[in-house]
Amino acid sequence: LSVYAFISLGKMLSIFKSIPTHMDYKGQKLAEQIFQGIILISAVIGFVYGLIIEQFGWTVYIVLAGFAVSCVLTLPPWPMYRKNPLSWQPVIPESSGEPSQKPQESLKKKKHK
Amino acid sequence: MNTVLSRANSLFAFSLSVMAALTFGCFITTAFKDRRVPVDIHVSKVMLKNVDDFTGPRERSDLGFITFDLSADLQPIFDWNVKQLFLYLSAEYATKSNSLNQVVLWDKIVLRGENTKLNLRDMKSKYFFFDDGNGLRANKNITLTLSWNVVPNAGILPLVAGSGHVSLPFPDAYETTKSY
Repeated sequence: LSVYAFISLGKMLSIFKSIPTHMDYKGQKLAEQIFQGIILISAVIGFVYGLIIEQFGWTVYIVLAGFAVSCVLTLPPWPMYRKNPLSWQPVIPESSGEPSQKPQESLKKKKHK
Repeated sequence: MNTVLSRANSLFAFSLSVMAALTFGCFITTAFKDRRVPVDIHVSKVMLKNVDDFTGPRERSDLGFITFDLSADLQPIFDWNVKQLFLYLSAEYATKSNSLNQVVLWDKIVLRGENTKLNLRDMKSKYFFFDDGNGLRANKNITLTLSWNVVPNAGILPLVAGSGHVSLPFPDAYETTKSY
């Protein structure tokens, strides 16, 4: 029974690995700015709120909420992070006659060497 | 930052650094606060015995029994950086053999959120008031002080002496009860 669990876990992992998660460079910069801003704002709000109601626990909760919002906004590769893709040169066809591929796929091929 | 894992790593590390800075901020806002409050101690009964003491080098030592009242309002001490208070009542006195003796008679932990107004009447001591010898009998001056240890969320644990204390003489003979 545990063998089936391992096999299904392996299949799930390979499914996760095959989901594309890349962002282009401007998208990465945007994602970093977004999560830094969210965490800093939630830190300031949490600090002030915790100071007012005299419970440091609430400061931690607010920062954790900011962390959760940042996770949702910056971890998945939303389309706004892919607005400036790199323009790769078209693939020069090999002498064996391979068809030319789209720039995105050739980008993947170059990474998964 | 190209994969989910590297974005998650970056986000998590940044959040932890921000959390560390906030904790330091919490410490700084309360680091220089005065943690003393007035305390009222009153002793109602004192009894003295001379018993076998198996923990010391001599055959018999003095053993005191004190019944006391305690009242204090600890509310001003609690703020967002205080987790709990450890209170203890200690007796301090001098004898012929030792110039300073300090014995803890009673202690209590007060958590944040619990009732902070102490109003205890006719409390018996929690721990044995053994003397290192026979110096309690006819001792002119035994001072009881309530002190506390502030346990913070972040920072130093200050040991604060309470601002009320009471001094009393002990009875001259054993097995007699002295009331105040």
